[in-house]
Amino acid sequence: MWTGAAFLTAMLVGAPIGICLCLAAILFLYLDGNTLLYASMPTQLFDSAGNYGLIAIPLFILIGDIMNAGGITGRIVQMALAFIGTLRGGLAYVNLVANMFVASIMGSASSQVAVMSRVMVPEMERQGYRRDFAAGLTVYSGILGPIIPPSIMFVVYSVLAQISVGNMLLSGLIPGLMLAGSFLGLIAILGLFYPYPVNERQPWPVRLKAIIDGLPTLLIPLVIVGSIMGGFANPTEAAAVGVVAALLIGWLWIGDLKLSAMPRLLMRAAGYSAIILFLVAAAGVFSWVLTYGRVPQQVAAWIQTVAQDPITFMLLVNLILLFIGTVIDGAPALIMTVPILLPIATEVYGIDPFHFGVVVVINLVLGFMTPPVGLCLYVASAVTGVKPSRLFVVTLPFFLATAAILVILSIFPFFSTVLSR
Amino acid sequence: QSQSFRLGIATPPGHPWNNAALAAAEMIAEESDGRLDLTVFHASQLGTEAAMLQQLQTGALDFAWLQTAELGTRIPQIAAINAPYLVQSTAKIPDLIRHPKVLELLDLLPAETGTIGLGWGITGMRSVFANREVNSVADLQGMKLRTHTTPAFRDFYELLGTAPTPIPTPQVYDAIANGQVDGLEADLDFSWNQRFDQVTQSILHMNALFMPMVALVSGRVWQGLPEADREILDRATKTALEAQVDELVGNEAGLLTAFEETGIAISTVGEADVADLIERYDAKWVELAPNLPELRAASAEI
Amino acid sequence: MGLAHAKEPLPARIWVGFSNGLLFVELRIAALLLAGLAVIILTNVVTRYAGSPIYWIDELAVFTMVWLAFIGTSAMSRLRLDFAVTFLADIAPKRLGPLIRAGSIVLIIVFGLALAWMSWIMLDPVGIASAGFDARAFAGQTFNFLYTEFTQTLVWPRWAVMLVIPLFSVCLVIHGLANLLEEAGLVERKVRSGFEEEAV
Ligand code: NA
Ligand code: NA
Repeated sequence: MWTGAAFLTAMLVGAPIGICLCLAAILFLYLDGNTLLYASMPTQLFDSAGNYGLIAIPLFILIGDIMNAGGITGRIVQMALAFIGTLRGGLAYVNLVANMFVASIMGSASSQVAVMSRVMVPEMERQGYRRDFAAGLTVYSGILGPIIPPSIMFVVYSVLAQISVGNMLLSGLIPGLMLAGSFLGLIAILGLFYPYPVNERQPWPVRLKAIIDGLPTLLIPLVIVGSIMGGFANPTEAAAVGVVAALLIGWLWIGDLKLSAMPRLLMRAAGYSAIILFLVAAAGVFSWVLTYGRVPQQVAAWIQTVAQDPITFMLLVNLILLFIGTVIDGAPALIMTVPILLPIATEVYGIDPFHFGVVVVINLVLGFMTPPVGLCLYVASAVTGVKPSRLFVVTLPFFLATAAILVILSIFPFFSTVLSR
Repeated sequence: QSQSFRLGIATPPGHPWNNAALAAAEMIAEESDGRLDLTVFHASQLGTEAAMLQQLQTGALDFAWLQTAELGTRIPQIAAINAPYLVQSTAKIPDLIRHPKVLELLDLLPAETGTIGLGWGITGMRSVFANREVNSVADLQGMKLRTHTTPAFRDFYELLGTAPTPIPTPQVYDAIANGQVDGLEADLDFSWNQRFDQVTQSILHMNALFMPMVALVSGRVWQGLPEADREILDRATKTALEAQVDELVGNEAGLLTAFEETGIAISTVGEADVADLIERYDAKWVELAPNLPELRAASAEI
Repeated sequence: MGLAHAKEPLPARIWVGFSNGLLFVELRIAALLLAGLAVIILTNVVTRYAGSPIYWIDELAVFTMVWLAFIGTSAMSRLRLDFAVTFLADIAPKRLGPLIRAGSIVLIIVFGLALAWMSWIMLDPVGIASAGFDARAFAGQTFNFLYTEFTQTLVWPRWAVMLVIPLFSVCLVIHGLANLLEEAGLVERKVRSGFEEEAV
């Protein structure tokens, strides 16, 4: 109780969230009388960051930065535009489709939103879309990043659940396509209220050139997926191979990437990777402290008195996670909740761990878009200048669509498990 | 007065050791009329094995069941029990770990680690699962093999002419399925749980290595407990472990049958194949673990 | 400009300068560690494919990432680019804003000090020195076995690998104090990473 209050206060004062978690953990140990564990905290912080599966995070962030500096992202947009041609609201659909392509390369929602809002929003505004709509659409298209494989969130989940990373990634594909489909429908419906402009007619030579120019960029997802399927590398190693592919394509083929820009690019990617990894480590320490205090057992006991059947349980989990997701983002929330909820899900309610993973991850990804702590809202706001609160209001229809899909996925395991079984 | 204890273990729920820990917890609650209560924390929830050992030393953690791979890095004499062909079948493992020479190893724990060893738990003999036809140790030559990272095992598989490859546990299934490695070695319980037969062609039942575990209690915690409570905790742990050891031996035949029924080819390594291997292994390891000849002698008495 | 500069107390300016120098080094080390991480992972792919896998390479990759995480986080705390909820300071009345921001910096410093203290207990430098740096004797006296431990496949001393944690805690405090001096208006804030304009 006091721990929660301390965490909230520290967070509202504006201390980094990782540090808020560590301070709350220290306080909890003190209140719980487990002060002997202070001597173990440095070790636990080190070990929580030192998980092999996490290595994919810095590598995927690096790929994103290289793609951006190398002009690769811009070409993906042009290619998608060329495919779609003239259509009312064309660029809105392009935004979504381009995001799906990018999602097949990038594993993190925040880096995807950062990249895509820089590329898409100015272009959409130039063609006459409202900026807040353009930014909001980009934010929700970015949700596909951590759901369509590859996905850092799914990697973290499979490490926690001790299940196959490859199968877990595969489980996200159909739900990701379902979300994309529902967003496409939503764009069409919203078109009745927003007067979408028709995008400029491109002559065929221009379209052909955009497609030809864009083709090399497809090598990056091909290399990543191919090296996993071909037995050449695991997902982490595939990310490293993807770094090389992005580097070579951006530098030698497209030529926008200057090697002189590499030191700054590496520093940036290292800095942002570091704060994500530290957040994961801090959340690891926090959940370790709660576990020591037998909090999971108490929550588990409470849930079991409330939920009588798997479906009630899943819906209850959705509510709890949505609540947690308003304050804690992504991977840390995953690390905090999965060790508590997964054993109940599998042992008491007989829920498939892959099915559970899909529901938990999509739910927590939704947390990226909800205030007060919504990483993607802040990222898009920083890039486009639209206020986070305005972004949330604009994207409310997308929020509701995602929530509806989430309920369907919770009730029917089929969509999550058909590919992984 | 009533007291709560925590027991940490690295293996996931459902593993024979985890079941034994839960059985011990149940016995402790019963024999103390609910006064003593033991919570089992599975799957390294409280930290890695190294971290749990540290917590035992400070007294933050009460109990932990740790594998000899971890303890062997601190106590060379314990690493000796991971030497190949100490016994040549799962059926003989119980006699080995109940031999006075092996029980004596627990006496090293207090001075070397600040913990007290209450007893041994075991897994069965490890097998090689290969994605090609493998009928004898000679067929292992040149294979990329995922092995446990303990130096004792790595040295043995290097002697067999394989290239030992470390792969993190959650990724082993994928690594073998997509051909990153040609095979893996593991005990049959774990292998059945992970269904390695679905991604490999053949099993070579090695009868060479097994991975025991020691049930540890924090020295600091133990000192602070009344004699009567120590007795309950000690007896419950020992009883649960005795049962675990016997049950595991009894299960091996059933596991082998289960694998056979999947249609996978199974071969067993015979004693004749391996005499020089033992010599070459011991030549190196007798320096690292000076009690190795003693353990070999003990095993000969079985 | 010259006047404002003259008003800045010398000790404060030296401290901020020291923190900036530290940041310069941290950012470059973090960049090198990230590049190194990619190279290590690729080396693993290549050597395994060539049939001679390197046994300790996974452990090396993990340690590289952990050092990257803590050194990078320290640098980002100086740049104030960490994930934080700043809306309270943003909407607060003019004079309250800096006060709230100062409060968040103080919390970082408090955590840095706490972590330094916990690392001190763990490393017990006085204890190991008074045991004549005899790890086994020290372990026997104190039940602290840190100095007898080695990492599993690299077989490096565990305490050396763990040093990044105390290092991190000290750097957090150094950067925190520098940020605090700037927030208090004692020194003008000029620190830059070179990548702020790239957004996020
Ligand atoms: Na993705
Ligand atoms: Na949120």
